[in-house]
Amino acid sequence: MVVSDSGASPQSICHALPAGIRLSLTIITILIAGLIPLEHWPAQGLLLALVFVGLSLAGVTMRYLFRRLGLFLPLLLVFGLSVPVTHSDHAAWNWMISLWLRCTVSFMAGLWLIHVLPFRELLTTLRRWRCPLVLVAMLGFMYRYTFILWDELRRLRNARAARDFGGGPWWRSWSINSQMIGLLLLRAMERAERTHRAMLARGWDGSVRFLDGDG
Amino acid sequence: MHIRDGILGPEVCLVAGAISLGAIGYSLRRLRLDLEDRAVPLTGMLAALVFAGQMVNFPLLGLPVSGHLLGGVLAAVMLGPWAGCLAIAMVLIVQALLFSDGGLLSLGANILNMGVVGAWGGYAVYATVRRLLGNGAAATVSAAVISAWLSVLAAATLFCIEFLCSSHSAGFDSRGVLSLMVLYHAFIGVGEALITGAVLAFVLARRPDLIPTPQPAGPIRTVGGFAATGLVAALAIAAILSPFKSEFPDGLDAVSEQLGFATLETERPPLVLEDYAVPAPEVAWWPGLSVSVAGILGTLVVFAGAIGLAGVTRRHAAPVVVVDGGHGR
Amino acid sequence: MATPEQAAIELRQLSFRYPNGRLALDSIQCAIAGSERLAIVGPSGAGKSTLLMHLNGLLPAPSISADDDAQVFVQGQAVTRKRLHEVRRQVGFLFQDPDDQLFCPTVRDDVAFGPLNLGLDRAEVIARVESGLAAVGMADCSARNPSELSTGERKRVCLAGILACQPSILVLDEPTSNLDPRARRQLLQILKAFSGTLIVATHDLDFVLDLCSRVLVLESGKVQADGNTERILSDPLIMDRHGLEVPWRLRSPARRASEG
Repeated sequence: MVVSDSGASPQSICHALPAGIRLSLTIITILIAGLIPLEHWPAQGLLLALVFVGLSLAGVTMRYLFRRLGLFLPLLLVFGLSVPVTHSDHAAWNWMISLWLRCTVSFMAGLWLIHVLPFRELLTTLRRWRCPLVLVAMLGFMYRYTFILWDELRRLRNARAARDFGGGPWWRSWSINSQMIGLLLLRAMERAERTHRAMLARGWDGSVRFLDGDG
Repeated sequence: MHIRDGILGPEVCLVAGAISLGAIGYSLRRLRLDLEDRAVPLTGMLAALVFAGQMVNFPLLGLPVSGHLLGGVLAAVMLGPWAGCLAIAMVLIVQALLFSDGGLLSLGANILNMGVVGAWGGYAVYATVRRLLGNGAAATVSAAVISAWLSVLAAATLFCIEFLCSSHSAGFDSRGVLSLMVLYHAFIGVGEALITGAVLAFVLARRPDLIPTPQPAGPIRTVGGFAATGLVAALAIAAILSPFKSEFPDGLDAVSEQLGFATLETERPPLVLEDYAVPAPEVAWWPGLSVSVAGILGTLVVFAGAIGLAGVTRRHAAPVVVVDGGHGR
Repeated sequence: MATPEQAAIELRQLSFRYPNGRLALDSIQCAIAGSERLAIVGPSGAGKSTLLMHLNGLLPAPSISADDDAQVFVQGQAVTRKRLHEVRRQVGFLFQDPDDQLFCPTVRDDVAFGPLNLGLDRAEVIARVESGLAAVGMADCSARNPSELSTGERKRVCLAGILACQPSILVLDEPTSNLDPRARRQLLQILKAFSGTLIVATHDLDFVLDLCSRVLVLESGKVQADGNTERILSDPLIMDRHGLEVPWRLRSPARRASEG
């Protein structure tokens, strides 16, 4: 997992749709995939083709798509296979295929969304959808500090790699990793205190205000 | 732990989503009372921390896979159940919407299993154990370890319930799924418990002032706390009993009936509406669809309730102002 | 030295003790005129940051007086709990680490944060954001994520966020730390263009020499010296006694030769 915005080309026909429509389309697709009954898996295949077209239109490269699917599919295949192994009848095989298709469609629809909806637009959409402003503000805050904590974590890891000569029992790496998270937690809490001060210094009183629209 | 879309039925996802929505609304309200103007930076930072902390991989005894922190109990111990629940919910939202890690439709179920049960339930157990053990560093760590382990078990069990409630899992051997999942997560939970305990021990050694003492009259008294404590305790007993399933063939069934799994199951919307399934033409695929439709109708009722609750919550929350062209300030 | 009537900031016997018992500030008496640029120098742990935080009422609530025995006065107004909002409107605060101060997902949102909290209307907020970013030369970065910017750029965005609130007093904590020479020079230009009161706590004495007219030497929470920049910074006795060094530019040719 890499902390970065989507790498797809920013200008595609899919990006031209309003952000709310993009989010709704994805949710509806996943909903339909879940509602198609088991024995009608060919319909599921049709939906898969549609989502695939959507991904191509959004400019997602096949290489990226297959790499993500490569991480996702093995677990799903094993989970699906556990059904016909325990129930050896025709319905079980139907069930398995349907589950595979359903999960793949949903996964690819999700991939489409993360490629066509940048985080800032997502926040604007959530605001428009009457999501509590405090939650939107916290999400924005979290997004910003994830990058910073991620950097700090990388520095901690480097510092550790510089002094760690490998080996040691498994519990040693567990304890080192836990200490790393602990240190990150301490720094995060201290930073939250300082940030709170910085917010107060600019007139923060606990109410969230947003500058709407894009100028 | 992240449930993908397609595993659970849409009707279950919607019910879980409605419950999570209510839980988030309630947490937001409590949060603003507890943390005042520090709520945004502290909760946002904690969410970022859990998110970053989940990227640290823990090797699993020579296996090719590795585990990572879930963080529900850790977050709740640091900032209380409300901020903890919100932090985990936000981590899951960002993971689903930016990394496609965990489904979009099953986001509600994920928030329920890990955020609500992890933080609310985990905190309820943590506060109870701490009241029994006292305020020492060892007491804090062991209370967190116990509640972290239980929170993972609870999440796994809740997943089983959700899965078995989904209309498309009709053919599954429910007892098999439950015992397999709970047994497997009893081990995963040990990992979560160890990480949580070690991180807290590290923090306690340096900045013990950062870890607040649970308030005696705190969330345990609230309905959420009570329900979560009960659920977690029930799940714990079920988890402990499940390995003895072979010796006591009906043990799990009896336990689940006594502890209310049966109630949970009969209360799920698909079953409530099943008797009223719309009479349909004799097309092969119709029954499956009609059950799903019935499920969705049932959940809409719950959804309406949740939206109403959210509305009440919004009115009670501190004023929030959007500056835009239409309204001015 | 300014008379109290015209002082932008006045400290009257300001003392402060941290909850752990350490006395951070010990009866500090000082008045700063509206047009003055003051540097606060001293070794680490001398109480510089604590002093700065008093100017903006940023220390934990109990330490801010609720009544009239205030020790800090901003534009003639006592800093009390009731007047905090008003004080923060007057005083802009630049923190040492720009990442503590940039908490919004985009530069534009961040610069708008202060003006929005002032309760300005949308058009005015947008105008303030634009003028703030223009003042620091970052107008073309408004849609970017602060994480993508360099340290110098982040610092300038922080400054834009403060300038957008149009404060009459600017307080800066270690403004040049972690900056490369070019970013440092840019910051210097921006600060020189600021017309109000400037208070800078720093270890960067060359920066002080270029920017400030007056220096306050602080150690162990006490004012050890107060006066004209060149006079104090070129006094080897004062500088050595308080763990500082006479800047290269101010050293006598003989001393330069003996050390270099």
